[in-house]
Amino acid sequence: MAHADEAAIFNKDEAKVDWHDKALWFVRQKRDKSAHKVKGWEELRNYASAIKANVLSNLDSYLLQFEENAQKNGVTVHWAANAEEHNKIVHSILQKHNAKKIVKSKSMLTEECHLNPHLEAHGIEVIDTDLGERIVQLAQEPPSHIVLPAIHKKKEEVDVLFQEHLGTKPCDGDPEYLTAEARKHLRNKFIKADAAITGVNFAIADTGGFVVCTNEGNADMGAHLAKVHIACMGMEKLIPQEKHLGIFLRLLGRSATGQPITTYSSHFNKPEPGKEMHIVIVDNGRTEQLSREDFRASLHCIRCGACMNTCPIYRRSGGHSYKSTIPGPIGSILSPGIDLKKHSSLPFASTLCGSCSDVCPVKINIHEQLYKWRQVIVKDVPQPVVKKTALKMAGSVLANTKMYHFAGKSARFMLKHMPRFVIYSKLNAWGHARDLPEVKNDNFDEWYKKRKKNE
Amino acid sequence: MNGIKKEKRMSREAILNAVRKNKPESLPLPEIDLGLFEEEINLVETFIDNLKFVGGRAVQLNNMTEIDAEIKKLYPNASKIVSCVKESALGTISINKETEPHGLEDIDLAIIKGELAVAENGAIWVTENDFTIRALPFITNDLVLIVSRNDIYLHMHHVYEAISKRDRTFGVFISGPSKTADIEQCLVVGAHGAISLTVLIV
Ligand code: SF4
Repeated sequence: MAHADEAAIFNKDEAKVDWHDKALWFVRQKRDKSAHKVKGWEELRNYASAIKANVLSNLDSYLLQFEENAQKNGVTVHWAANAEEHNKIVHSILQKHNAKKIVKSKSMLTEECHLNPHLEAHGIEVIDTDLGERIVQLAQEPPSHIVLPAIHKKKEEVDVLFQEHLGTKPCDGDPEYLTAEARKHLRNKFIKADAAITGVNFAIADTGGFVVCTNEGNADMGAHLAKVHIACMGMEKLIPQEKHLGIFLRLLGRSATGQPITTYSSHFNKPEPGKEMHIVIVDNGRTEQLSREDFRASLHCIRCGACMNTCPIYRRSGGHSYKSTIPGPIGSILSPGIDLKKHSSLPFASTLCGSCSDVCPVKINIHEQLYKWRQVIVKDVPQPVVKKTALKMAGSVLANTKMYHFAGKSARFMLKHMPRFVIYSKLNAWGHARDLPEVKNDNFDEWYKKRKKNE
Repeated sequence: MNGIKKEKRMSREAILNAVRKNKPESLPLPEIDLGLFEEEINLVETFIDNLKFVGGRAVQLNNMTEIDAEIKKLYPNASKIVSCVKESALGTISINKETEPHGLEDIDLAIIKGELAVAENGAIWVTENDFTIRALPFITNDLVLIVSRNDIYLHMHHVYEAISKRDRTFGVFISGPSKTADIEQCLVVGAHGAISLTVLIV
C-alpha cells in the first residue's frame, strides 16, 4: 500500500491524530527552546556535518582503526555484510554461552535486521527494555518513531496491554503506575538475563570505545548485569576522536527531546574481568548508499528524530504509515535506497517544506534528497496521476532557478500557490481531515532571512 | 568452524573493499575553534539550574564533614547503603571488585564521588574507579553524587579535554534521575535506573 493509503487509515481516528500532531509539535518546540540556549548552535551543526563527511570519505581507515583499538581493549569485533549475517553472528555468540534469556535496549539496527524473530525462532527470549519498545513489543507492533517508539499509543491502550501481559490493575492509563509496574517487570528480566544487546550511538575510532545514550538506564542495567554484552552498530556510527563527542552529545539530546543531554551517556571501552564484550559492525546496504552521491549524506544521521517531530506529514500520518524501519523524512530517503519499488511512495510523503533540513543536527539536506528521489522514481516506477501533477508543479517551480530561490523550497510557498486539489487530493490523506498549517507571511520572511544568513 | 571464520573474514574484506570503491574523495577533518563556544557565566548557578531542569536536586555544602548529616536528612529511611566515598560513614554494605552485581538489587542508596560536573547540561562524570561495580549507580534505588565546586566545567568540550588522559574502562555522564515519557509523553521519573538523584556540591 502506498504511504497515502496507510496514512488514510491512521487518519480515521481524528482525535488521536490531533493528539499525535500536537504532541510531536510540542517536542519540536522543546527542541527549539533548548537549541536557542546554546551559544554557537549553528557552528555545532556545521562541525557535526563536516566531521561526518570526513568520516564517510575515510570510512575504511576509520573502521580499521576502530577495530584495532577495540581489539586491544579486549573487545571482539565482528563484521556483517547484511541483516542475515548480523543475526547469525549474534545468535552464534548467544549459542556459545548457552544464553536463552536476552535483554535488549533500543537499537534501530536490530529492528532493521529483524533480529528478534530470528532469535525467537531459535527458542531465545528477547525482551525489549526501553519502555516504549516494550509497549510495542507486547502489542506485536514495530516502533512508530525512532526516539518515541510508542508515540502512537494512547495511555488507555497501554493500560489494557499491561493488564493482559503484566497482570496490572485497571488504572485509567495512569502513567506513573504503569511505569512503576514496568520497572518491576523489567527489573526481574534484567536480573535473570544471560546476555544483553545494545545499540551504539557513537563508536570512536581512536579509542575503540563506544557510547550508548538512554534516559531510562536500561542499556546499563542490561550490559552491567549480564555476562555477555553485544553491541550492534551500523558502520556509519563512527566518529574519528573522542573529543568529537563534545559536538555530538551537545546536539543529540537537545535535537531529540529538548533535554540538554540524555540522562545516561555511557562510555564503554573494556569489558569487566570475566565478562565478554562484542561489537557487530553492519553494512546492510550502507556501502551502497555511500556510492550514491546525491544520497550519501543520509548516512550522517544520528537518529535524533527531530525531522519526524517537525514534519507536517509525519505528524499527521503516524510512523507506521511509512512501512519502513526508519519512518519520517530521513526514512523516506534511506528506505528507497534499500528497496526502491517497495518504498517508492515515500519521497512523495513530503511538502518539501524543508523544516526537516532546518532542524537536522548534522545538516542533512533531507528535503532536497526527497526531491531527488522523486526524479529517480518517476523515471523508474509508474505513478498515480495526481502525484504526477503535484510533481510537475513542484518540478516547474524547482526547475526555474529564480523562482526556486525565491520560494526557498518552502512548503509555505507550496501551500499558498498550489491548487487546493493537489494539496488536499484523495491521495494526500494527511491533508484530508483538516486544513494544513495556515501560511503566515511574517513566518516566511523570518525563516527566509534566517536561511539567507546561514547560506 | 573454519567455514564460519572464512565467511567472517570475507565479509570484512568485502565491506572494506566496497567502502574503498564507493567513498567520495577525502574531505578534511575540521579543526574545532573552541572560542566559538566560550561564555562568561556563573558555573555553579548554571549547573544547579540545569540539574533541576533534568529532575535532579542540588545541595551546596561548605565542607565534606557535612555530607552525612545532609544525606541522613534527605534519605531518612535508607538502610541498605553503599558508600564509595571515604568521607562518608553511612555505608552499611561494603562492596569490592568481586561483589556480584545481582546482589545489589535491593539497595536503597549509593553514595559516589563525581569526578567533574558539566554546567551546560547538569551532568556528572563518574567512572568505574569511583564506584567499583559498574551496575551500582543504575541498580540503586536512590543516588547521591558528590562533586567539588572547583570541578564544574562550562561545557562538554572542556570536559573531554579534562578526561582525555584517563584509563578507559567504563565511564558515564549522569544527568538527573532515570526517566521516561514513553506513555503519552507524560514525564515519569524512575524508569530502570535510580529514581532520585541528589548532587552535593562541596
Ligand atoms: S536525519 Fe537529521 S533530524 Fe532526522 S533523525 Fe537523522 S539526524 Fe535527526
